[in-house]
Amino acid sequence: MANIQKERNREAVIPTSSMSDIAFLLLLFFMVSTVFVQEKKFWVERDRWPIAESIERVPRNHTTTVYVMRDETILIDDIATRIESSEDVFVSSTLIRKKEEDPELIVCFRTDKETKYGVMSDVLRQLQDAQTLVVAFETNKRAD
Amino acid sequence: MKIGRKRKAKAEIPTSSMSDIAFLLIVFFMATTKFDVKEGIRIVLPQAATEGTEQTQSLTLTENEMTRLQITEDGKLAINKEAPREIESGELDMLIQQKLKLNQQMIFKVITDREAKYNDMIRVVDRLKAANIEKISLSTN
Repeated sequence: MANIQKERNREAVIPTSSMSDIAFLLLLFFMVSTVFVQEKKFWVERDRWPIAESIERVPRNHTTTVYVMRDETILIDDIATRIESSEDVFVSSTLIRKKEEDPELIVCFRTDKETKYGVMSDVLRQLQDAQTLVVAFETNKRAD
Repeated sequence: MKIGRKRKAKAEIPTSSMSDIAFLLIVFFMATTKFDVKEGIRIVLPQAATEGTEQTQSLTLTENEMTRLQITEDGKLAINKEAPREIESGELDMLIQQKLKLNQQMIFKVITDREAKYNDMIRVVDRLKAANIEKISLSTN
């Protein structure tokens, strides 16, 4: 008579030894892809931007952000300024310096939608003086 | 008296909590990462014109070559010599297409009042960009 052996129940084990490798890989991804923004504060919140349809992506490695607030305050690198006369050339002098550092500079505007166009016109004039001619008006995308 | 040999304890670094630490760090990065994607209407400004230099060149353009879109203080829009009125985006698209039928190389000059809202200028430029127009001039009065 054949001897029938009882099958032993095998314990189901999930190998977790490589878990930390996976976790560190993910960690590395986040550490490499994280870009710390230069500005300390988001001076004009997204919901204050205009809405547009025909928007395009701007390569962020060649950009600098200019905030224009409703009260006509202009902020570059968290430094506030105003353009009240032709002698207020902080915007153009800052952008001339930035343009020397990066000749492919794109100036991105984060402007409050209620801002009067006059101040924007003055800023654009200073951009032309600084030869920083490529600009992007940041907007929210219109929901379809 | 029998003296027992001391067994040497093996030096080990416990690594079982390593993944916990790594996941905690991931959670931190995931929570603090803010994707700051830059999207907007891209425009290339013309060179600054300096009077009296060779760069300055005066041109007289007809209505068949250039369309003036004048935005008034209250957000109304005047096309060429027409009286300012409220124009919805759909109608504006239609008017732009009519102008393009006259001339595919039409230049659109957006003249925004200094007291007009930035939003009004963006609305008009957006419609021009939607019609794939590249020759857009921005100015104020």
